[in-house]
Amino acid sequence: MNLLEIRDLSIRFRLDEATTVDAVKGISFDVPVRSSVALVGESGSGKSVTALSVMGLLPKENSSVGSASRILYRDKDLLKARPGELQKLRGAEISMIFQEPMSSLNPVFSVGFQIGEVLRKHLGLTGRAVRDRTIELLQEVGITEPERRLDVYPFQLSGGQQQRVMIAMAIACEPKLLIADEPTTALDVTVQRQIMDLIAGLQERHEMAMLFITHDLALVSEIADHVVVMRDGEVREQAPASQLFRDPRDAYTKALLACRPPRDRRPKRLPVIDDFMGDAPRGDTGERRRGLSGSEPTLLEAKGLAKSFYFREGWLKQRELKAVKSASFKIAKGKTLGVVGESGSGKTTVALLVARLHQATGGEVRFEGRDLLKVEPKAAMPYKRRIQIVFQNPYASLNPRFTVGQILAEPMLIHGIGADDAERHSLAAELLKKVGLPPLSLEKYPHEFSGGQRQRIAIARALTLKPELLICDESVSALDVSVQAQLLNLLQDLQDEYAMSYLFISHDLAVVRYMADEVMVMKDGEVVEIAGPDELYANPQHPYTRLLLSSIPGRAKGGAHA
Amino acid sequence: MKETGVWVLAWRRFKRDRLGVASLVVVVVYAAVMLAAAGGLIVRDWGDEAGVSFAPPTFLGPEAESPQLAQMADGAQPIADYGIPDPLAPDLAAIAKTLAGSASGNEARALTLPLGGDKWGRDVLKKAVKGTQTSLFIGLAAAALAAFIGTLFGALAGYRGGKVDDLFNWLYSVFTSIPYLLLVLSIAAVVNSKGVVPVILILGLTGWTGIFRLIRAEYMKHKVREYVMAADAIGASNARRMFVHILPNVSHVVLVQLSLHVVLFIKSEVILTFLGFGVGVDTVSWGSMLAEAGSELLLGKWWQLTTATVFMALLVTAFSLLTDAMRDALDPRLK
Amino acid sequence: MLAYTLRRLWQFVPTLAGVVLLVFFLFNWVGGDPAYLLAGKISNPATIENIRKQLGVDQPYWVQLWIFVKQILTGDFGASWNTNESVAHIFRTRLGPSLTVLVPLLVISTLLAMAAAMLVAYVRGSLTDRAVMVACTVAQSISILVYILVFQYVLAYLLGWFPVQGWGVTFMDNLFRYAMLAIIVGVAVSLAPDIRLYRTFFLDEINQDYVRTARAKGLSEGRVMWVHVLRNAAIPIVTNILLQLPGLLAGAFLIERFFGIPGIGREVILAVERSDFPIIKAVTVYVAVATMVVNLATDLLYKAIDPRVQLK
Repeated sequence: MNLLEIRDLSIRFRLDEATTVDAVKGISFDVPVRSSVALVGESGSGKSVTALSVMGLLPKENSSVGSASRILYRDKDLLKARPGELQKLRGAEISMIFQEPMSSLNPVFSVGFQIGEVLRKHLGLTGRAVRDRTIELLQEVGITEPERRLDVYPFQLSGGQQQRVMIAMAIACEPKLLIADEPTTALDVTVQRQIMDLIAGLQERHEMAMLFITHDLALVSEIADHVVVMRDGEVREQAPASQLFRDPRDAYTKALLACRPPRDRRPKRLPVIDDFMGDAPRGDTGERRRGLSGSEPTLLEAKGLAKSFYFREGWLKQRELKAVKSASFKIAKGKTLGVVGESGSGKTTVALLVARLHQATGGEVRFEGRDLLKVEPKAAMPYKRRIQIVFQNPYASLNPRFTVGQILAEPMLIHGIGADDAERHSLAAELLKKVGLPPLSLEKYPHEFSGGQRQRIAIARALTLKPELLICDESVSALDVSVQAQLLNLLQDLQDEYAMSYLFISHDLAVVRYMADEVMVMKDGEVVEIAGPDELYANPQHPYTRLLLSSIPGRAKGGAHA
Repeated sequence: MKETGVWVLAWRRFKRDRLGVASLVVVVVYAAVMLAAAGGLIVRDWGDEAGVSFAPPTFLGPEAESPQLAQMADGAQPIADYGIPDPLAPDLAAIAKTLAGSASGNEARALTLPLGGDKWGRDVLKKAVKGTQTSLFIGLAAAALAAFIGTLFGALAGYRGGKVDDLFNWLYSVFTSIPYLLLVLSIAAVVNSKGVVPVILILGLTGWTGIFRLIRAEYMKHKVREYVMAADAIGASNARRMFVHILPNVSHVVLVQLSLHVVLFIKSEVILTFLGFGVGVDTVSWGSMLAEAGSELLLGKWWQLTTATVFMALLVTAFSLLTDAMRDALDPRLK
Repeated sequence: MLAYTLRRLWQFVPTLAGVVLLVFFLFNWVGGDPAYLLAGKISNPATIENIRKQLGVDQPYWVQLWIFVKQILTGDFGASWNTNESVAHIFRTRLGPSLTVLVPLLVISTLLAMAAAMLVAYVRGSLTDRAVMVACTVAQSISILVYILVFQYVLAYLLGWFPVQGWGVTFMDNLFRYAMLAIIVGVAVSLAPDIRLYRTFFLDEINQDYVRTARAKGLSEGRVMWVHVLRNAAIPIVTNILLQLPGLLAGAFLIERFFGIPGIGREVILAVERSDFPIIKAVTVYVAVATMVVNLATDLLYKAIDPRVQLK
């Protein structure tokens, strides 16, 4: 029996007077009673929009649902329901949790008030009963000392706790259907593990049906009975989870499954979407060797690197925040040091210190025998050139008012590379080709490129200076998995060609394992473990490393529980 | 090569906003009028006594007993000044005398004027056009001055932080502790000279605080953006990061503030002049017209008030709508 | 809380010092020798030397500055050059009339503007929204002078509904007879800019994720707007009103002057017209102090209405 049936759903957005976008193009799927259905897709696939339309939460002023579309909840068309009827269903029978728990909770109301609101509205509880039930709910979602948390405001909770509050609110009225829109994407990997376990447990206990929206196939394998793969507003494939993971039919699904770095192997090149969708030849599938032999020359060595930030507090007091307490590591010539850690571990600060974008408060960074931290800013220019960095956010790291040509010419101009504008222009065009962009791109502005293309431009900018060390600070994290694979391949090719060293920072353990010759694990500003990738993943020494590794999605249940 | 920079895109979005384009046309027409009047192409004869005193607008037809009314107007004091003589009264009288002396008899005076005449029979329409020159120029020049100071200070404070930021913040808090109009009036009181340039200086030197605060915030936001860090990584100097990298990215904020301040300063000029601290009596601005219009209204002579109000309201409305349209076009996320 | 307040009060010192320097710079340096200004009005050049001595302007600048600082510390700014009324007395007697106009004006215009702003923000993008916004823009583009002149002429002079100007003796008489037209004009003038500003505050909130959550909980549109959105939008609105207060006190001078209300604003404008420096100096310093106090009060209130704010 189906709890929810979606038929021919199409949704159109009006961007401005002239342009409309078809976000969802006539999709159909079912959510059976008590089962969990995963809606999977990359950005722009229309998965979140679909979820919002079930709740009737699409922005009224610029979206419209096609006339043939139907969303049947227990055989009742929600698209034709009166606002009053929808309000009775929302939060009571169908509830939803969102990606960003911080902004999804009202900042000026206490946690108790926000949960109590649902109970008052739908169950008609009052006074003491609201309080008791709220405490019960907080307990159920694993919040300790629930009595004391009632009067706490959202900003006083961690991201994981906020999401627990959102979940408590969602299950308050024992809904039949829970819609979860990327509920763990904004969270650290260990927290993600806890929240996933919580959601899975609650679903089973309360016999809810669930519509789980995510971009992460590994997560899907843990939780879903049935998978719907979406791309560009269309359903590419839908199948029971066990079948889909074992035997994907659609080329896009196959590509999605293949382009994540595998856990057990290390192919020379990651397959990309085009390998499956078009006629392009399959990539080289040979294995790549990783790890250090111990005989490689050291390019850069950090000893006791430390950074504190100071905040004014009170009269003359200063509060010290130790972002990096003490970090020591070596980067070998032509090799990759991977850095993993959760938010607040200090991994980005390390990158900024090495690139001299932040001033270190302690330790030294030896580069060719000289302590870079002691070099005067003026004298540091030649060193600056040799250490370049590629940032995380492709939308913020390129100056939007510069053309790509200007972006690439600027570093050459500053460091006197190339005799004249013409030569710099041709050098820039050459580099663009190297990172896989047409020379025509030189005249364009960053906003005309996709996220992946922008990261290519950022890489090209770094390459203009022929650096010996390239720091990649979460450089592929903001990208869709299919684009990630392309970028990882590009970085790999460049390393092979220029023999650059990489400081490769990521929260994504699978990617780091694939890329790194040596892996450094950071926690709370300290290095807890450094080891070769295979050794570290197979035989983690530090308890935190073990916790991190056990949190990687897709390991726990390994696919089918359907 | 097809140019698709941020400004071009903004212009494309702007062109779709019909209200915004209409406003732009109005503002451009006003600016053209300002330039033409300043260059002496039009309304050089605004000071001529072309009609009889208080000549009504042509569409009303001439009035029977106009001389008597003129008499009354001469004697009428502006409503109760609490027994203090109007500080401008002697100046006005002197000017009235010279003007009367220079007028060669009454034979050429028209009984009606297109939009009526003032006490001395000057054409209200020409005064309003000439006043456009004064008021709009003051608004533009003062806004440019305020935007320059505010942007420079804001950039330094926001980008440099630390002691520099403390210094500019202190200056800011000193200037904002004194309410804007009180500050303007105090300065006007001590400067004690009238004219277009003092008004521009008074408004510009006091009006930078709002822009400073916004630009400072923008610089603080932008200086930690990754594109600025990337510029640091490739070795761009501080000055280069401040003005070559960040400034173009906050320039739309400056532009919007600039046009907001034009409106603010045009309104401020009116009040300053009305209170006698604005442009001198030999210059006509919308403020000076409204100052005259107060006492005229009591005599039932509403046309100078109406003309000046409509002239000013049209420009200010157009400017405000233009500002809104610019903001929408430059920062589509806001919508 | 106490420590915070004390520290903030301590921070007044440099700002106040700046204001004092600015005022001193303006009046004792740029303003020229006040004795000539005074003597001009008194029309007795022989007394100039005497006046200079009285005012202390024959002293070096640093002595004059010290005299000014002493005036501020003791709160004794001397007497008006024109009426010889003591500055302190002028303030005591003019505050009441100012507040009689300002408080009702502020309450009425805020409530009206908030309701209107929430309504147009809710129907954002619609014809109603656009029409109201254009109407506000037009209304805002007309000088306050025109509002005062026209309202006074039509409602008081032609129709005789209100006295043209004046001030009575009893509070009720003042509030319901003499202040009424001033309040009406004040509301008419401030409504348009307030609606526009508050609308942006509401729009900022309406698109937040928590509003979507509130809807997802099944709350009615009324509750979403009146509880969730309003509570958040109220924070910048309240701040805005408080920060306007000190400026209004001195800034209402046009209204006070036209309607003959013996308030502080009118006193300021008279002082400026007569170059009555002691009063202007005193007002400037007083209002600066008031501004700083209100800023502090705003921050403390902020703590009360916005749980996220931590006073550092």
